Amino acid sequence: MAELVLNNIKKSFGDIEVIKGVDLKVSHGEFMVFVGPSGCGKSTMLRMISGLESVTEGSIHIDGADVTHEAPSKRQLAMVFQSYALFPHMTVEQNIGFGLKLAKLPKKEIEEKVAEVARVLKITDLLPRTPRQLSGGQRQRVAIGRSIIRHPKIFLFDEPLSNLDAALRVQMRLEILRLHTRLKTTMVYVTHDQVEAMTLADRIVVFNHGKIEQSGPPIELYNHPANIFVAGFIGAPAMNLIATTLSTDKQGTYIDLDGLRLPFNLKANAVDKMSVTFGIRSEHLEVCTNDSPDFQAQVEIIEDLGSESLLYLQTNFSTEPLTVRVSPENDYRTGQKIGIQVDKSKMHIFDTETGRNMS
Amino acid sequence: MEKENRFWQIVFLSLPMAVFVILIIWPLTSSFYYSFTNWNGFNSDYQYVGFDNFIKILTDKLFYQAAINTSIWMVAAIFLPSLFGLVLALLIDSSVPGGSIFKSIFYLPICLSAVVVGQTWVWIYQPDWGLMNTVIGFIAQEKFNYAWLAKPDTALGSVILAWSWQQTGLSMVIYLAGLTSISEDLIEVCEIEGASTWQRIRLVIFPLLTPATVVVIALSVINSLKGFDILYIMTGGGPFNSSDTLAMHMYNESFKKYLMGYGSAISVVLFLIALTIIRIYFKQLKKVDEIYG
Ligand SMILES: Nc1ncnc2c1ncn2[C@@H]1O[C@H](COP(=O)(O)OP(=O)(O)O)[C@@H](O)[C@H]1O
Ligand SMILES: [Mg+2]
Repeated sequence: MAELVLNNIKKSFGDIEVIKGVDLKVSHGEFMVFVGPSGCGKSTMLRMISGLESVTEGSIHIDGADVTHEAPSKRQLAMVFQSYALFPHMTVEQNIGFGLKLAKLPKKEIEEKVAEVARVLKITDLLPRTPRQLSGGQRQRVAIGRSIIRHPKIFLFDEPLSNLDAALRVQMRLEILRLHTRLKTTMVYVTHDQVEAMTLADRIVVFNHGKIEQSGPPIELYNHPANIFVAGFIGAPAMNLIATTLSTDKQGTYIDLDGLRLPFNLKANAVDKMSVTFGIRSEHLEVCTNDSPDFQAQVEIIEDLGSESLLYLQTNFSTEPLTVRVSPENDYRTGQKIGIQVDKSKMHIFDTETGRNMS
Repeated sequence: MEKENRFWQIVFLSLPMAVFVILIIWPLTSSFYYSFTNWNGFNSDYQYVGFDNFIKILTDKLFYQAAINTSIWMVAAIFLPSLFGLVLALLIDSSVPGGSIFKSIFYLPICLSAVVVGQTWVWIYQPDWGLMNTVIGFIAQEKFNYAWLAKPDTALGSVILAWSWQQTGLSMVIYLAGLTSISEDLIEVCEIEGASTWQRIRLVIFPLLTPATVVVIALSVINSLKGFDILYIMTGGGPFNSSDTLAMHMYNESFKKYLMGYGSAISVVLFLIALTIIRIYFKQLKKVDEIYG
């Protein structure tokens, strides 16, 4: 268990700044997930924490000690790579025991510890094999085994599940969670998959263009996205975002969607006629059964997902189709006209220019 | 269309096939043929002598001497350039300043023919003004003139050194290519797990270079089996047959003593030895392939 503190970290490759000032504190035993689109600097951030990449500016502290210029091996971290990074010429047993062998532990002791780790990860019968004889999921388990055997202070994962197929990914996700519950070690986990982030994290950090957009518990990010980027990135299907303008009159601030007046009580200063983006999640739109809907829409596409269905609707006020979650036992047809009700307590207004959530 | 293709296939294949038959198959079969005769190399009257030539080999002291020298030669000529090449590759790959210049310098000797290399080293070893003795003399601060190539104790070793100098560049570039194919992740695992430089080389890099080593060894074996010209230039197998190898011995018997039949028998033995080595090699190759694919 350890605490990790990042102080105003910056990183440039040549003239290109890829990390633009990151401040973050990861508490003892916390499962922290870095999420963001490809190329936003998540791996670079993780590699700086590990020491594989140098820091251009700022400092890194583990348990209060400044490790900014420490060699990776001195930081007592373990890293699991997307590529698994297993040694092809070693058996599973040798791969898992690699770190202990380097530390020159007695053979007997290494054997025992490897056996224990293999038992935990349920890979005991794979020990004599070489990595080539393993499936992707088994390889990742071995890579995890190699990292847990030394009881590191912090685990670093760089997209460990990206090379696995969907079903296996879900299974491994659970196992990593279980591992965390069991070991209670601080973990920093990088992924571009927001579902993975939501399901694993105690706290999510959303990265974009080398900066933190927002950090917080998954539900907080889902319910209170700080800006358009987070709103659009977290949650599947993505939040419906509609460009419009804000108006103010004596009754207050509102937006007008093709005749539908939606009033807002904004925290931030609102300017009349400013460009804003209206955001509403698909589960906060409801198909209307009575005859006073908020607006009319036409069903364009129906996606049946089994447990639920998604309707993609064409409206007069949005160029992009709106998504609405409905129960799978529905009998909508494409082309059908339906009425939609908006849950007024779950609406978001973002300043289109700055992206900031004003509601 | 099919027919036309077939025609051109045959045309294009026939030329290399002809070259192969004339340069390889024909000499090989004639060697086998002459090894059972007492042909002297130019007269057309010679007799079939059965296994006499092969029996003679068993009692030929010089043959044994040459066989021992060949073993020494091959082991050293395979091991030394491979080792030097590996060390150089590791140094250059660890991005020492000026690495690419060193790369070119060390590779250069490969582009020279064995004749040029041999003659250069004959000069280096020259007792009175050769570079070797000059440098040693300079370090020891007294005149040094040892005749490296003229003393039985050092003749073979001196040629091996010259040979290694030439061959090192080849194994170096192969190892360099091998190093670039090692995944960066694996090296990073070493860094995180806290491997020392030596542990990293011994436990990870060297084993992962196995495919490169296989190629290096293959080329070294083939080159050292062929390594006749440099010996011929530098010592001619002398002094007192101290640097005689089987290839050298065969040449001397065939073309100096005009015992073409006997020389052919030696070449047949040499061929069988080479065949055995290559078969062992291919067996190992299969194992390597299973791990590294
Ligand atoms: N070694 C490097 N040299 C130059 N640019 C790099 C290097 N590593 C990463 N980058 C750049 O930094 C940015 C962030 O990369 P990365 O951290 O790998 O993103 P992510 O992991 O979020 O997909 C990318 O634009 C990438 O091209
Ligand atoms: Mg990445």
